[in-house]
Amino acid sequence: MLLREVEYEKPGSVAEALELLAANDGARALAGGQTLINVMKARAASPDMLVDLNGLEELRGIELAADGTLTIGAMTTYSELMRSAEAKARPILGEVCATIADVQVRNRGTIGGNVCSNDPTNHLPPLMVAVGARMTIAGASGEREVSAEEFFLGVYLTAVGPGELLTRIAIPAGKKDGFAAVTLGADGTCICNAAASVNGAVRVALGCVDAVPVLVTAESPEGVADAVRAASLAPPSDVHASSEYRTHLAAVLAARAAQEAAAR
Amino acid sequence: MTETVVAPAPVEIQKGWGGQSVRRKEDKRLLQGEGVFVDDVKRHGMGYLHFVRSPYAHAHITRVDVSAAEAIDGVYGTLTGEEVAALTEPFFQISSVPGANVKDYSLAVGKVRYVGEPVVAVVAETRELARDASELVEVDYEPLPAVVDARKAQDAEAPVLHDDAGGNLMWSGLYSWGDLDTAFAEADRVVKIPELHFHRFNSTPLECDGALVEYNRGVGQWTIHTNNQFPGFAAIMMGPAMKVGLDKLRFVTQDIGGGFGNKITSHPQLVVCCLLSRKLNRPVQWTEWRTDFHLSMSHGNERWFHDTEVAVKNDGTLLGFRTKALDDAGAWLRYEPLGGVIWAQVTPGMYRWRHIELEFTQVATNKAPVSPNRGYSRMQHLWFTERVIDIVAHELGLDPVEVRKRNYVRAEEMPYETPNGCVYDSGDYAAMLDLALELVGYDSMDARRAQAEERGRLLGVGIGSTLDSGTNNFGQSRLINPELQFSGNNEVATVKLDIFGEIVVTLGTTPQGQGHETTAAQVVADILNCAVDDVHVRAGHDSYWNSHAGFSGTYASQFAVTGLGAVKGATEMLAAEIKKLAGAVFGGVPPEALELADGGVRIKESPDAFLPFMACGAIVNANNAGLPEDLDVTLNCRYVYRPPFEVPDVERKFGNLTLTYAVQIHVAVVEVDPETGAYEIVDYAAVDDCGKRINPQIVEGQVMGATAQAIGAAIHEVYEYDEDGNLLTPNFYDYHVPHALDMPPLATGATESPSPFTPLGTKGMGEGGGAGIHAICAAIQDATGKVVTDSHNPYQRVWRLLQEASAT
Amino acid sequence: MDVTVTVNGRAYERDVEPRKLLIHFLRDDLDLTGSHVGCDTGNCGACSVILDGVLVKSCMLLAVQANGASIETVEGLAEDGELTPLQQAFNEHHALQCGYCTPGMLMSATALLRESPSPSEDEIKKALQGNICRCTGYWNIVEAVKSVAK
Repeated sequence: MLLREVEYEKPGSVAEALELLAANDGARALAGGQTLINVMKARAASPDMLVDLNGLEELRGIELAADGTLTIGAMTTYSELMRSAEAKARPILGEVCATIADVQVRNRGTIGGNVCSNDPTNHLPPLMVAVGARMTIAGASGEREVSAEEFFLGVYLTAVGPGELLTRIAIPAGKKDGFAAVTLGADGTCICNAAASVNGAVRVALGCVDAVPVLVTAESPEGVADAVRAASLAPPSDVHASSEYRTHLAAVLAARAAQEAAAR
Repeated sequence: MTETVVAPAPVEIQKGWGGQSVRRKEDKRLLQGEGVFVDDVKRHGMGYLHFVRSPYAHAHITRVDVSAAEAIDGVYGTLTGEEVAALTEPFFQISSVPGANVKDYSLAVGKVRYVGEPVVAVVAETRELARDASELVEVDYEPLPAVVDARKAQDAEAPVLHDDAGGNLMWSGLYSWGDLDTAFAEADRVVKIPELHFHRFNSTPLECDGALVEYNRGVGQWTIHTNNQFPGFAAIMMGPAMKVGLDKLRFVTQDIGGGFGNKITSHPQLVVCCLLSRKLNRPVQWTEWRTDFHLSMSHGNERWFHDTEVAVKNDGTLLGFRTKALDDAGAWLRYEPLGGVIWAQVTPGMYRWRHIELEFTQVATNKAPVSPNRGYSRMQHLWFTERVIDIVAHELGLDPVEVRKRNYVRAEEMPYETPNGCVYDSGDYAAMLDLALELVGYDSMDARRAQAEERGRLLGVGIGSTLDSGTNNFGQSRLINPELQFSGNNEVATVKLDIFGEIVVTLGTTPQGQGHETTAAQVVADILNCAVDDVHVRAGHDSYWNSHAGFSGTYASQFAVTGLGAVKGATEMLAAEIKKLAGAVFGGVPPEALELADGGVRIKESPDAFLPFMACGAIVNANNAGLPEDLDVTLNCRYVYRPPFEVPDVERKFGNLTLTYAVQIHVAVVEVDPETGAYEIVDYAAVDDCGKRINPQIVEGQVMGATAQAIGAAIHEVYEYDEDGNLLTPNFYDYHVPHALDMPPLATGATESPSPFTPLGTKGMGEGGGAGIHAICAAIQDATGKVVTDSHNPYQRVWRLLQEASAT
Repeated sequence: MDVTVTVNGRAYERDVEPRKLLIHFLRDDLDLTGSHVGCDTGNCGACSVILDGVLVKSCMLLAVQANGASIETVEGLAEDGELTPLQQAFNEHHALQCGYCTPGMLMSATALLRESPSPSEDEIKKALQGNICRCTGYWNIVEAVKSVAK
């Protein structure tokens, strides 16, 4: 419950934030804090320095381009996204955010934080993979863009390296999306989830079954369950679900997400 | 005689306060954040305590070195198990042999026996520093294998927790009443149930345990600000252990953030606080964090029922049963093995069978120590009897409603003596069941089932009927250990008229949200014929008030009987004294000619002769010259309520163990998603009968709270361990309790069958007997067509049930 | 580090360690013990306060993050002991038993009613989803909030 000693900085610009992160090995970015502060309470991780991103307007805001691409600042909170008129261009985003935890968490928690923490039970990593998002990462040498599929590397591990920051996420135009989950109580932690997007063929990204979202494709929603079974998943067992149950849920939820996407 | 009222009862304008849903007095301070919970209490110079806890489920402690921690500036000191063993005696054990031989200290001595067990205590200037310093305490362990499955605890190769006990068996007893041989001979069928399992969980009160302890060196006395809900028990345990008289331990509580039984066994931690406040010569503050609580405090009894055999007739009449109950106490006994007899308050459940045999075995395992949890030990047993009913109905192809009605104890049989001599005081179970079925729309269930099927869902309806036995006869402890000298029960209240005529009530109880201040005021106001607002009830409990007795506290569903019984007694004493005083002041008017009204006392026939309460108080306290010499009036009346109990017959294990039996009958309607096993409660009805209700709204609140907790336990809440003894649900992230969106639509109903045995016709209530768990298990069984044998049914288990081949 | 905050309209200035959680700052440093701690994983909501008009769980914010902010806690709801309509509704509907979750519930309900003066029952439950209660089962709390909806 009680944090270890930590230094705290509140940079006034992204450049300053990057400098602080690069100069201090044990520094970590503080976004919404809805995960990181709890990790620090448990002393499971204890950064030496927190670099607070909450004052950086450069990292906020949602833009809708003429071609329908949505660009979301990494520090956009779930609540801000849910209220955004622009984000309604891709309704699944707000719909999924609305099922995350509770209003207090949604008021501080950020899209970038959810994606960068890459907890296997998070909602947004599989969703970003399904919709084909592209992540912009800033570092000392400038910006680079990484596809969602290449962004998620391992449990709690993403392509954002030391001294770098996720600055924005670009989501292509589209509306035929679906999301299905079995959760620990209403709006609770996901036991298993699946995000689907239909654009001719069906893309389904499975969460909770591996260190990173597992992408499965099929010609039609009807073929999704088989495609999931063919993926030979070996999800972990934990107190909420055995590996066998998770594997079973993955196929069921993938099919449901795909059907929802196709029906839009 | 019962009177059916479909809740919520509207507030009626009527002559008495009893029976009205008077708004709570407690709320004004609580709504403004002005309650005083233990962590709100501060003392100058206090040190914050943090426990170093065992990371192993079972290990020898080979070395403890606190020097690095103590060297930190701002660390005030530490306490180790070695010091505790030198300064204190082991805690008194309730159990007979072998449990009696367990040596229980307030810190681990020589060995740790569960993950999270306190090993060393560190006290420092700030919370954070105490936490930091605890990481510098060096403890070396030699890990040992752990036993986490109670069914394996008595195997020859099982690791033994307490060498002094010679094994993991803590207590066992055989209970047998009636004539089982004849019952089984007369049966048409014997239904066999190899294994039933009631899981480990508890009520996770939102406020965890805590204390702020000050030591008065001059008089050798500790003031223990705490949220322990049974200070009488804590004192009895702590005094002898600390080798001090009980008056040296002053317990002070005000607002408590939920108890549910889970705040009864904090006495080991309180001893640590006491020892440290004396050693360090400063107040010591301890806040238990959520993870600490989950790891170490008050898990509910996990119980297996093996080799159950039920003697039944083809028409569903139940004749009797035998079973073997295996109870998992965790690493220490603390309040156990009382659970080994407390179930017997409800031996036959709600049913009329007369031939019962239960072999009770309690074992130790490398898990958190168990202690009372809402419904304590009766809930486990009542779940068992409800499962038996539904499994018998399932096997015989009978309607669970009909089997219940055939076998329920009947209203006309009340008061009903059970096979082991307990007396069910009143209640019409069949009528309550009908009301619950009506509230849930049972008649339309076939149509709803078809409709659900169209949506791809399996609908199921389940009944959970249960008893909330209240007001213990502590003599039942002798069935555990014949050498114990406990029996009966008591509670105390003091009601006085102050010098300015203020009516002041002091309770012996330690409420955690049950509205004692309000209901006590209602009872007082009715007797003194004044307004509830005129009655001031002190908040909380303080042993310095001397308004408590050995069993004082708030637990075991008894306040409406014991607490209010004491309030009634004290107020009647006061009323009589007021009349005596007034009679003397009026020149010799007898009490029958006087009445209390309008804030005073007057002569019935000539109401102008009126003495306000203020005058009464002033005369006795400050203006008493000239009063008759033999006038025995103090206007400060302390009353001890004592329920009518005998010491049970230890030989036959026979006798009345509880005074009242409130009843709850719930019906749950679930819809199961057969593809995932996930399910939703789509409808729910709860009918309660707790005799005369002093405040119907408060009663309903308890019913609702018990329902919500039962729903949580049934679906998501479990303290599950891996095979190494690590708790997999150590916080609210993994241990999921219900939130607002998880609640089903709820219809409540109430009937009132007054208890013939209590001062006000009330029955204790509040625990609720786990009816929601029983109902949800039954509903899942109905939906899936598969027999449910576990009290805990997360989606995964329901899915597995559906995969099972149908039994022949 | 220096922290300046306004709480319920009153300014405070303190020197705190960066690691101090906002909830502990409120309770231990400012003696505002109305907001409570019920868990250590950010799940229970007993610590909920309104910060610059936004409902947050103060156990997941550092005190230093609140520098310059304006915070509302339960102590700021009633004026001179006069309960607000929401607080009175809680009393009328028996929406509290032990009272430990109540400050958090009141702040969440207050935030909801400011944004949505006529919420539906589902919207109320959604707004209270971040506040755990173990005593009431939530039904009466929802009724209380409903009763003050316009």
